[in-house]
Amino acid sequence: MNDRRMMWFNFVRGLCAILISLFVGMVFIFLCFLFNGATKGNAGSSIVATFGAMRYMLIRPLFKANGAFNSMNMLQVLAAMIPTIFTGLATCVMFSANQFNLAGEGSVMVGGFVAALCGIYWAIPAGIHPVVCVLVAAVVCGLIMLIPALLKVKLGASEMVTSLMLNYVMQYVVLHFLNYQFADRTKGSTQTAAVRETANIAEIIPNGSKLTWGFVVALIFVVLTALFMYRTRWGYTIRMIGINQSFAKYSGMKVGSVIILSQVIGGVLSGMGGGIEVLGRYQTFLWKELPGYGWTGITLAILADNNPAFIPFAAFFIAYLDKGCQLMATYCDVPVEMIDVIQAAIFLFFAARQFMSKFRQKVVVSNTKADLAKQEIPAEGKAI
Amino acid sequence: MGQLFGMIFKEDFLFSVIRITAPLLFAALGSVIAERSGESNIGLEGMMSISALIGTLVSYWSQSWFVGVLAAILAGALLGLMMGFFHLKLKTDIILCGIAVNMLGGGGTILMLYMFTGMRGNTGSLVSPNILIPTIRIPLIDSIPVLRVLSGHSVLTYLAFVFVFLTFVFLYKTATGLNIRAVGENADAASSVGVSVNRIKYTALCISGGLAGMGGAFMSMYYSQGWNSGMISGRGFIALAAEAMGRGEPVGAMWSSLLFGFADAIKNKATGLPGVSSYLISTVPYLVTIAGLVIYAISTMKRAKRHAVPKTEES
Amino acid sequence: MEEKDCVALMKGITKVYPNGIAANRDVDFSVRKGEIHALIGENGAGKSTLMKILFGLEQPTEGDIIINGEKVVLSSPNVAIAHGIGMVHQHFMLVPSLSVAENVVLGMTPRKGLLIDYKEAVRITEENAKKYDFDIDPNLKVVDIPVGMKQKVEILKALVRGARILILDEPTAVLTTQETTELFRQLIGLKNQGYTIIFISHKLNEVKEITDRLTIMRAGKSVGVYETAGITETEISKLMVGRDVVLKVEKEKAKPTDTVLKVKDLEYTNEWNKKMLDKVSFSVRKGEILGVAGVEGNGQSELVDMLFNLNVPDAGTAQVNGENILGVPQKKIRNMGVSLIPEDRMTYGIAGAATIEENMISDRVDQKKFNRGILFDMDALKKESDGLIRQYQVLCKSDQQQVRMLSGGNIQKVVVAREFSSNPQLIIADQPTRGIDVGATEFIHKKLVELSRHGTAVLLVSADLNEVMELSDSLIIFYNGKIVAYFEDTSTLNDELMGEYMLGIKHQSPEEIGRVCHE
Repeated sequence: MNDRRMMWFNFVRGLCAILISLFVGMVFIFLCFLFNGATKGNAGSSIVATFGAMRYMLIRPLFKANGAFNSMNMLQVLAAMIPTIFTGLATCVMFSANQFNLAGEGSVMVGGFVAALCGIYWAIPAGIHPVVCVLVAAVVCGLIMLIPALLKVKLGASEMVTSLMLNYVMQYVVLHFLNYQFADRTKGSTQTAAVRETANIAEIIPNGSKLTWGFVVALIFVVLTALFMYRTRWGYTIRMIGINQSFAKYSGMKVGSVIILSQVIGGVLSGMGGGIEVLGRYQTFLWKELPGYGWTGITLAILADNNPAFIPFAAFFIAYLDKGCQLMATYCDVPVEMIDVIQAAIFLFFAARQFMSKFRQKVVVSNTKADLAKQEIPAEGKAI
Repeated sequence: MGQLFGMIFKEDFLFSVIRITAPLLFAALGSVIAERSGESNIGLEGMMSISALIGTLVSYWSQSWFVGVLAAILAGALLGLMMGFFHLKLKTDIILCGIAVNMLGGGGTILMLYMFTGMRGNTGSLVSPNILIPTIRIPLIDSIPVLRVLSGHSVLTYLAFVFVFLTFVFLYKTATGLNIRAVGENADAASSVGVSVNRIKYTALCISGGLAGMGGAFMSMYYSQGWNSGMISGRGFIALAAEAMGRGEPVGAMWSSLLFGFADAIKNKATGLPGVSSYLISTVPYLVTIAGLVIYAISTMKRAKRHAVPKTEES
Repeated sequence: MEEKDCVALMKGITKVYPNGIAANRDVDFSVRKGEIHALIGENGAGKSTLMKILFGLEQPTEGDIIINGEKVVLSSPNVAIAHGIGMVHQHFMLVPSLSVAENVVLGMTPRKGLLIDYKEAVRITEENAKKYDFDIDPNLKVVDIPVGMKQKVEILKALVRGARILILDEPTAVLTTQETTELFRQLIGLKNQGYTIIFISHKLNEVKEITDRLTIMRAGKSVGVYETAGITETEISKLMVGRDVVLKVEKEKAKPTDTVLKVKDLEYTNEWNKKMLDKVSFSVRKGEILGVAGVEGNGQSELVDMLFNLNVPDAGTAQVNGENILGVPQKKIRNMGVSLIPEDRMTYGIAGAATIEENMISDRVDQKKFNRGILFDMDALKKESDGLIRQYQVLCKSDQQQVRMLSGGNIQKVVVAREFSSNPQLIIADQPTRGIDVGATEFIHKKLVELSRHGTAVLLVSADLNEVMELSDSLIIFYNGKIVAYFEDTSTLNDELMGEYMLGIKHQSPEEIGRVCHE
């Protein structure tokens, strides 16, 4: 089988999935306008309005109305990638071992909270302070992930259900501590005291885009995770377990321990993402519900085919679309939740193995004809 | 603590347990049907949210709660059909299909609400008493102490428990139910006698969605009297645990659901008490679910040890 | 043969699979109405394929099928059923939690309004059970009934759907002696009612007991039809077991030394209460290839599973160089110097979606020479896998290719390359060349001999007579979970003798067999 042809086929297939998803989005935008917007009831102008809205979604993030490059938007897009890169990496690692652990959501919140607390109550010199905070957050979240991991390995309990439940538990525990112990009563809305200056993660260019050095850290971790998955024996074992667990066992790999490892790493990365996001973007901890980065991380892992190296690209793509939907919400009155609908559609089509299978058949057939010439032709051998 | 204990035996507490269990029960039964056909439906959460919204909207437009409930059921069934299409035809992993439905149930519902009504976040002013699901007073029973907790529930509450029986009958006494069980246990055996495995799975997913739809309608048209984003709060996921603990049996799922309903009712009661953190109490139902799963897993392991299965050989 | 008498006639059936393997070659097969007809042959002889064609599960490349005088095309099992042909497979098509009656009527469930007419289902089951003299309780759940009864339910399923010709595929493989007797009583009852039964088997004593005629197949061809009464077991075995082409393997005489693997009194009863290992004891020495011959299903698979901890025996010991290997993690087994070429290469032998390189090194990723601290030494890994690809002549584009894209023979070479290159003390090779081309087979055989002569102990389990006779220095023969023969020098063996032991016609004395323990 010609691998390059298959890669090209997969690329085209992915592109089609994305285009279909955007089309689905367009249909919904059209309906929004038709039923409710300024062009209510008028199909024709609704269509025009839809295209206008699509311009906001697809083009405005990059270019201002006058055609100039919109650097602020693009920096904000990059900033939005920071937490999702981490959750995307976390999901890649866990899904590679076939572990459907969905507790990344809760881990992000716990990670952010723990990092914030370390940033408020510990006096550590600048430069090191954020590092310590984030590390503590990562360790705590890694330990929490032991719960679904051990339950899965020792008892065979579905890590999916336990991790989903854990998300809610983590959310409420954080909210409890936020409201009862650590709330800053002088402030109007519920939040902690201000994080110390020393713990803040600074912006790369101080212009309010919130693109902090956390972005650099995120990219570093992309490299580290990719190296881990493809250049270390633990990453190798994780991937083999995901491909064929029987084979892994027969080859002598420690299946149970590595399954646990994969989930703990997932927790560490998610927690880190939460910590870096809170210390970078905010002055205090103020999330009152699960921020949603965990689910986005799953979308990224699907787009990246569980390969950490592709996560930044997937993250950029989704962050760009997200920005576009935000602009669309601001200027066109289309709800920002359009991004969820598009994400769901991308999900469904991207992960559909049989999607465009007839087309794949054609590619396979033309490849096989070429390959048959090269392959050994078995002599009339033994009967079955 | 003693205060809490005393409250459990009050009638209004028992009443609330039944009320709280009903939507869980619908979803758990939905999970049962899907699992028995061999497919895990983890999109119940999203299905409930979407059907809840549809139910409220349609009941508003039609000014009839009945039509609203029907619409909610239909919405759930269609979502089941969609999941079936993506999984059985396009071969998307069923788990991913479920996650996608949950995403739709998250942001997609807010979008739909805006699209149809221009409102954002919740249905506030749309809801009026005449389009909520009516409650029923059972004449004789409602004067008997203790037993009267069974009277005064909404139509759907009673229906939820009736559906335990109906699901049982469906699974064990109808040909379709027989086929569903056959496909779930040994799809090869089923297809070898001419049963269409895919058609059965589509059916099961649709029914699963329809049941989730009833659960959603219950939430928005009775329990919370309106729709708001995030109202389902994990019930669709707890239903998965209830199904597992009930070992895929309708009656078992009912008992598990009652357990979680009980935990949830305690949370509600305890929230008002002084010195009790509403947040920590909120974790109780979810912790109970995890504990339940652990107990179930341990007992399954013990059972499996007694029937150790050797490698099958091909000849 | 009077064609008129034949209720089913297969003429000139040839079946060639896309990968070039010819499972049936110009086979003629016919059965008369009301007879019990045995279809005998070794594994791989083509009898399963022939019957799959008769039941519409496969289509012949050439040839005709004539049922009751009418030429038919059996395009699917449903069509075959419509023509009155029913098949009972080795792996039952039953739903465990359903009752017998529900299983019998599945797909044709009687209804009363919206509900199942369960009474009718029971009635159908009971009526038919009585008609054919089957002792079945229609209300019991299939999971609770013994294997013998499960088989009866399968037969009943076929009869209820109108089968007049029943194909039974190795029916007694899973039955105890009593259940077998019961089954035979049933079959004779059916025959007396005019049903035709095709009985696939390689158990000669059973064939002699209840069949009227028998057809023998070998290497895809039919080697004759005989009246059962007029042929002896020895004659059958001569026709059945034999190699058309003897592939000679060049090797020097073995000079075995110390014992490496010592198995003592291994016992195992499977979930169907069948004793698959019955006090099995043997030893394998350095520098020798000990073959394990026998028709498949006599305990060989179970033995291999025990030795690599894919299953645990009920009793007995097994040691490699004095250390126990039962119930021990695979990593430890490998560290003791044991390698396994698994029978099921796709499940255990490879990770299909991974690259060739990743498959080659799966047992050695922890080794110092492949790691520089935390990271892999990618160059060392590449050198290793490229070296192995060259050494084992694996035909591929690069070591980054997905291993499942290779041909069967090359996939097996990847498995073999990995398992042979770990410097093993003991190699367990289970059907190492099944389903692969001649070139790869020869190569693997040569390598095995090479390793053996360099001191590795080899346990070769193979249902392929050529392989096990030519490759082994000495061999043991398994029958019904026991070792029934030990031959120290395979060069003196002939096919006939092999056949007689493999089919249970002969067996050696315990003293003769005991010599394989080398105590």
